[in-house]
Amino acid sequence: MKMAALKQGRWKKRILGGALALSVAACVLGDSASLTTKADAPYKSYTVDGYGSVTETQTAYLPYKTLTKVGDEALLSPTDFCLLKDGSMYILDSGNARVVVSDLEGNLISTFGEGTLVTPRGIFVTEDHITYVADRDAKSIFVFDAQGNLTQTYGRPDVPMYGETQDFLPLKIVVNSSGTMYIVCESNTNGIVEISPVDGGTFLGYFGTNATNASIWTIIWRALLTDAQRAKMRSNIPSTPDNMAIDDKGIIYTVTRGEGKDVLKRLNIAGVNMIEPDTTDTTPAAVAVGNHDNCFVVSQQGFIYEYNNEGDLLFVFGGKDDGQSRIGLASKAEAIRVGTDDKLYILDSDKSQIQIYEPTEFTNYLHDALYLFSKGRYTESKTPLAKVLEMNNLFDYANMAMGKALYKEEDYEGALKYARLAKDLDSYSDAFWEIRNEWLKKHLTAMVLLLIGLLILKRVIKVLDRKKHILDGPRAALHRFGEIKLIREIRYMFYFMRHPIDGCYGIKREGRVSVASANVLLAVGIVFYVINRYFCGFLFKTVREGRFDVASDVGLVLIALLLVVGCNYLMCTINDGEGKLKDIYCSFVYSFGPYLVILPFVFLLSHIVTYNEEFFVSFGTLFMFVWVAVLIVISVREINNYTVGETVKIILLTLFTILIVCLLAFILYVLWAQVLDFLQSFVREVVYRIGS
Amino acid sequence: MAHRIAKRILGITLAPVLALCLLAGALPTGSGAVLTARAAEEIAGHSYLTENSAYRLYLNEEDLSVVVEDKATGAYLESSISYDDGQNNNIWLGAMRSAVVLTLINKNDDTLQADLVNDDVTRKVTKSDTGFTAELYWNKYKLGFTLEVSFDEDGLSARIAEDSIREDSEQYFIGTIRLYPYMGCSYLTDKEGYMLVPDGNGALIYLDDKEGRYPSGFSGTIFGTDIGFEESKVETLLWDKYNTISDAEIVLAPVFGIAHTDDRIAFLGIVEEGAERASIEVVPNGASVDYNRAYARFVLRRLYTQPTSNNSTAGSLHIYEADRSHSDLGVRFVFLSGDDADYVGMAGAYRNYLLQSGSLVRKEDTYRTRVDFLGSDRQSWVLGTQGVVMTTVDDIYEIFADLEARGVTQTISLYKGWQDGGLYNLPITKYKAESKLGGTGDLTKLMKSLEGTGREFYLYNNALLINPDETNATFNVIKQVNKRRYEYKTYRDVYETFYFLTPSRSKLLLERFVKSYTSKGVSNLALAGITNKLFTYTYSSDKYTRYDCAKLYNEAIEELSTQTNLVLEQPISPYWDDTNVFLDMPLYTSSYILEDESIPFLSIVLKGVLPMYAEYVNFEANEKEFFLKMIESGAYPSFYVTKEDSSELIYTNSNDIYSSRYDSYKERIAEYDAIFRELSERTKGAVITEHVIDGDLRKVSYSNGVTIYLNYSASPASCDGVDIEGMSYVVK
Repeated sequence: MKMAALKQGRWKKRILGGALALSVAACVLGDSASLTTKADAPYKSYTVDGYGSVTETQTAYLPYKTLTKVGDEALLSPTDFCLLKDGSMYILDSGNARVVVSDLEGNLISTFGEGTLVTPRGIFVTEDHITYVADRDAKSIFVFDAQGNLTQTYGRPDVPMYGETQDFLPLKIVVNSSGTMYIVCESNTNGIVEISPVDGGTFLGYFGTNATNASIWTIIWRALLTDAQRAKMRSNIPSTPDNMAIDDKGIIYTVTRGEGKDVLKRLNIAGVNMIEPDTTDTTPAAVAVGNHDNCFVVSQQGFIYEYNNEGDLLFVFGGKDDGQSRIGLASKAEAIRVGTDDKLYILDSDKSQIQIYEPTEFTNYLHDALYLFSKGRYTESKTPLAKVLEMNNLFDYANMAMGKALYKEEDYEGALKYARLAKDLDSYSDAFWEIRNEWLKKHLTAMVLLLIGLLILKRVIKVLDRKKHILDGPRAALHRFGEIKLIREIRYMFYFMRHPIDGCYGIKREGRVSVASANVLLAVGIVFYVINRYFCGFLFKTVREGRFDVASDVGLVLIALLLVVGCNYLMCTINDGEGKLKDIYCSFVYSFGPYLVILPFVFLLSHIVTYNEEFFVSFGTLFMFVWVAVLIVISVREINNYTVGETVKIILLTLFTILIVCLLAFILYVLWAQVLDFLQSFVREVVYRIGS
Repeated sequence: MAHRIAKRILGITLAPVLALCLLAGALPTGSGAVLTARAAEEIAGHSYLTENSAYRLYLNEEDLSVVVEDKATGAYLESSISYDDGQNNNIWLGAMRSAVVLTLINKNDDTLQADLVNDDVTRKVTKSDTGFTAELYWNKYKLGFTLEVSFDEDGLSARIAEDSIREDSEQYFIGTIRLYPYMGCSYLTDKEGYMLVPDGNGALIYLDDKEGRYPSGFSGTIFGTDIGFEESKVETLLWDKYNTISDAEIVLAPVFGIAHTDDRIAFLGIVEEGAERASIEVVPNGASVDYNRAYARFVLRRLYTQPTSNNSTAGSLHIYEADRSHSDLGVRFVFLSGDDADYVGMAGAYRNYLLQSGSLVRKEDTYRTRVDFLGSDRQSWVLGTQGVVMTTVDDIYEIFADLEARGVTQTISLYKGWQDGGLYNLPITKYKAESKLGGTGDLTKLMKSLEGTGREFYLYNNALLINPDETNATFNVIKQVNKRRYEYKTYRDVYETFYFLTPSRSKLLLERFVKSYTSKGVSNLALAGITNKLFTYTYSSDKYTRYDCAKLYNEAIEELSTQTNLVLEQPISPYWDDTNVFLDMPLYTSSYILEDESIPFLSIVLKGVLPMYAEYVNFEANEKEFFLKMIESGAYPSFYVTKEDSSELIYTNSNDIYSSRYDSYKERIAEYDAIFRELSERTKGAVITEHVIDGDLRKVSYSNGVTIYLNYSASPASCDGVDIEGMSYVVK
């Protein structure tokens, strides 16, 4: 009974094709056209945190169904497909050079294009069922009407602007509402070919051309080369977009293999990019536009990326089937489409199938929030956002959006909390500004009063001191403390800062400082450095929250110091410098006086300024380092008694030596690693051979 | 009537003609519903040997293959193919007919096949009333063993005793052994029915025409993959760094089966001996050959890669294990017919088998909602690490009081990260609680105060891992078979790597821990880590097999179960009798493409005998569906809660816990508690007797007459005249 019910249920779904049906009715026919399994996802879903690093999240999309056939028609290496709002699906069955039309369940509606198509690679179907097929080897765009009759063919544009020698090998096509075709062509690096249907095809120009990637090094390098050498270099031509998608407003999304900002672009009608994805794949295969101002990219390996309209990565999931054959993993993804119900359809040309994914409850909440938020309905977006955060309160995008929504609602404390979780620095800065502003408003009177009070107090103490000498005791104690040798030597730093030339004389001739005092200053400097690095204001932090690596920080400082002092000393000794190692070390450490004096103020400032007043912090830092640099240059000159020219030379030589030492260390390290590796292999093999 | 249709050859228009020809030419000799009061002389070349009350056994002495016939209906299952489609070479035919099939290792080759058809085998077959024994010796390869087949009321058992295995050759060694690999096989769509796959909770592969879509079948190492062997897999990583593919589910129970629903006959295969180092293979037609088959594959020896340098590309040797693993090997085939010839029947048979053999003991089935707590974890700080406190002992009092007020009176709780140093300060060597949580005294007091109330409270202990950042992990950690230390990578910031303790060390530390623990008068322990891991390992130049590992773990767990109230996290079947409840029962499968249907097989086995808890509700993206899944499989809900917001955990190793704040979950806990309590009252002590799948509808019937209807689709539906709302259920 159980199996009977089960069978009935399954048979209801099955459509048996053709004459075979009769003879095999008694057998169980494989439900091969579509396989539905309620199952867990075999892949993990990730999102990125505010630092761009990957964190795991709830499953975003679950495998829903796999279409391996359309009716009884098996697909052969399909390369593209199109999904219409009315639920019809046009699959470009490239291996069989035809178009297969089906519904979303995989039932066959019709096929067409046989005999016309040669090597079709791209398809686009308008909502009124006009089909455009990009055929590479036919070098044509074929247009079919709703009945599948060929109505129009567009060939290579015959205008000089297209390029005299440029071939026309169309791969992918999208068409906007006015019928203008955008065509990606093989080996055409000028960009997307834009053809208007007017007069049997009018070439309008190239669209969305990618920029060449010329790094500063390439530019320098090319400038140094001769023409002949330059000709031998790999020509630096821009990469053509690999695939594209178009949304209802005619905005075109392109994906390009490679790295950086070209990978995913959102081009308006003028060809201007309006998106900057924070994380991308290097081998994108296709792009699709979602229903919530979002877009999707699938890579050839089957990783599926979902972005919001600003290019923030929401999810990445899926992956390549490593031979385990699990549902939802791809072999070679070629195309992606989004259904009206947010289901994702991924075409796999290797497996000749379409894998459908459905969003989970979590993703649906996120989409609600996404849509409301992008439409500026912040208050409304808070409900789904709260739901998302309840399910995953580390979800970065939701934290960011919540922060912004709360900011708009003037809940600055809340906004600050979420912005910090999301590492959304701008929102954090804005929220902080507001909080600080409120605080200032509230406490301004009190602060002014306090200031006046302090001034009066100071005046009173001064007067009292003049009359009754109340401060004599502390002053004497302070003086005594200041006269301790080590303290005196440390205090010399302040003098050195202001009078570096005299200061150097003091170091060199008068023994005003000692190695001990320099060590103390160095230690204090390192402590300041570490504190500032990890505990400065959130907006100015250069390390990730929650990450500590003090040992390598300290090590780095010490190694840098050792290198600079050591190399400088070596260079000075062979260039008639007068400086002893001790003097060079001390003067070098003392040159960092401004760092020790100014850093605490910068540190404090970093906690109270926002990006509006960022100038104070950056100026303070710049001022500090310029001062340090000046002191170093002067002390190199003074300690060694050099002329200006010699000083410059010595500094350059020192830098060069440092480079050489680093290089040497690197070479030694590599060689040593090789030797070790060899010895290890040798010993291991011997041990193994003897052991067995 | 079964039709033989080699569909792949058929053109659509030719179909009726060809079908007729084939009908005439290749009908089997008699799997029809002929009532056979008397034993047939012979079935498909097999002659009558013996019988039990319900089945007859026929044997072919050539290849030792058998046929088992249902006395009542005459339907039979055969262990060798009786129809050859003419597309199989001799090697395949040998594998399809022999009672035992071996793969041999010869130098670097581990694919050489030895069987009873193609090879020169000296054999001595001794028949008896209950079966036969066959002393087998392969003369060319100079190896052999004794196959013992016995047929009794519990089915057919095929075994090879360890001491009968001989390997006299210097050149050929036994790699793997399969016993009756084609038991219950069928050609293409000859039979209707399915094969049982022990993946996750359970799955089915239908006996339909797979049209060659699957190049290979399901292959699952029983009790999980062996981390002792480095698996060389081609992985495609996201950004060359992240493995996006989840680990496959562990094969928790060593079972497989095939049901021919048209003949109403089925078998359940149970690996009785040697399961620790064996795999279950379920292969549908189209994978190499067009026969459906399911079997166990025992591994005695494996090839592995011995790297000789740190740089994996620089040098490595391909070698095989010097010594094979030693254990008796045995498979039992339990035959089922009539209404029992389906997966519910298989589950029932397995349940009975476990209960009879004492591997499963009926446990008290009081409904409790599982509410686990996370105590503390650690995040990096300027020097070293700093504790992050999530739920203190006082918080737990508070949460329990709140739950009480909401009517949630009966709970079971695991306290994770209670120990000094937090969740990942492993191993736990003595009973010492993190002072920031309230310290050992408070914790003891809490546990004492909960005794006798409706709340069970267990301390969580992962006895497998050792944290090299917090503890000296130079000794007592395992190395892989290639003598490289096994490193378990977490891909997280604070603790990046863990090692595995040797099983004897785990055992010792557990003993010590439990001593210091029970001396305080508390004895509830939740054990994890070692409950579903077995591995081959080397330690101080000795090699240990999965059998050694299993033995030590078994001893440890056995001992603990006498000293403590023990619960185990997702235990493999050998430990099922030692746990009070089954924690983290998987409700899904690993989603292999070839699986046609996911079924609650393990749940049907255990429901009514051992209470099961599903994985945490917190991390489910599809909460409603998961809720229905729990109801369908009779598993109880689990929650993982913390007092503090889980965003506190962002910089700890626990940053995968992205949602756990008690305040977000308290209402849902109360809601679930009410629903599941009511439901479990109605099904208390009853077992599942029927499970029907009809599209998105499920019907689950219990032995006490209660029936649950579930609807997984969004739209309302009706079944047996019962209306069910979309994404909902009805109890009748």
